[in-house]
Amino acid sequence: MHSIYSRINNVSAMLSTCLMVLLGAISLSSFLFTSTPPPGTLAVTNVKVFPGNARRYANKYQDFAFVNFNLTADLKPLFNWNTKQLFIYVSAEYENRQGTKNEVVIFDRIVQNKEDAYIDIAGRNKYVFRDVSASFEDSTPAHYSLKYNVMPYVGILTYGEAARTVDPVPFPESQDLS
Amino acid sequence: MSDILQQYLEGKIDFEGQKLVEQISRNILIVATAVSFVAGFATQSLQVLFGVFAAFVVTLSLAVIPPWPAYRRHPVKWLSIKETKA
Repeated sequence: MHSIYSRINNVSAMLSTCLMVLLGAISLSSFLFTSTPPPGTLAVTNVKVFPGNARRYANKYQDFAFVNFNLTADLKPLFNWNTKQLFIYVSAEYENRQGTKNEVVIFDRIVQNKEDAYIDIAGRNKYVFRDVSASFEDSTPAHYSLKYNVMPYVGILTYGEAARTVDPVPFPESQDLS
Repeated sequence: MSDILQQYLEGKIDFEGQKLVEQISRNILIVATAVSFVAGFATQSLQVLFGVFAAFVVTLSLAVIPPWPAYRRHPVKWLSIKETKA
């Protein structure tokens, strides 16, 4: 006859099924929230290119770009009950002199709650911005864009773009300081 | 002594009780899933959802896992021993 252990087993078996159904329903509910953020503004105020020496390759001299930008975006609509956090990043899209299309992330931020989701920053590139071909000479002007990645508690990651420079910004001549 | 201890640890119930327990646990868990999802969605909070669900599970476990007398109301009646010729 049924002992305590078989009753525990009975309840927990059904419990795990119900939990899975709940999690599935939560992740599906994300599709009900389709509101996208209103387009923000991203303006590049200043781009400078300097030659330098990356410590990793002692003999290799290459160009480093320094980008200042102003960024405003209202990402509050992306927060719903199933949003854990947002990963937002600014990337530069350009074609270098070898004809390779590049997309380089120069800045990122993690937004963990709705109160911080109004973005208003005057920032500069957080990560080293350099090209594989060691130079920005003859590169096409770069478009800069703010992209976001919504990370839910349960469910799939979704991506989107919240702001983009109106006109592409050309890279200036490399200026040697010494 | 060990007999009593074993009886409490095993907590056996009868066949009618088994049927009842299985029905209750299945139905309550399905209801709990639906109710907690609606409650969580209405308040837009995963904390509420899992709080409600956990409350259901705890009460269900208390109601169903110990061998309450309600599940032992129909003990199996064995036939009496027949006299056999030695």
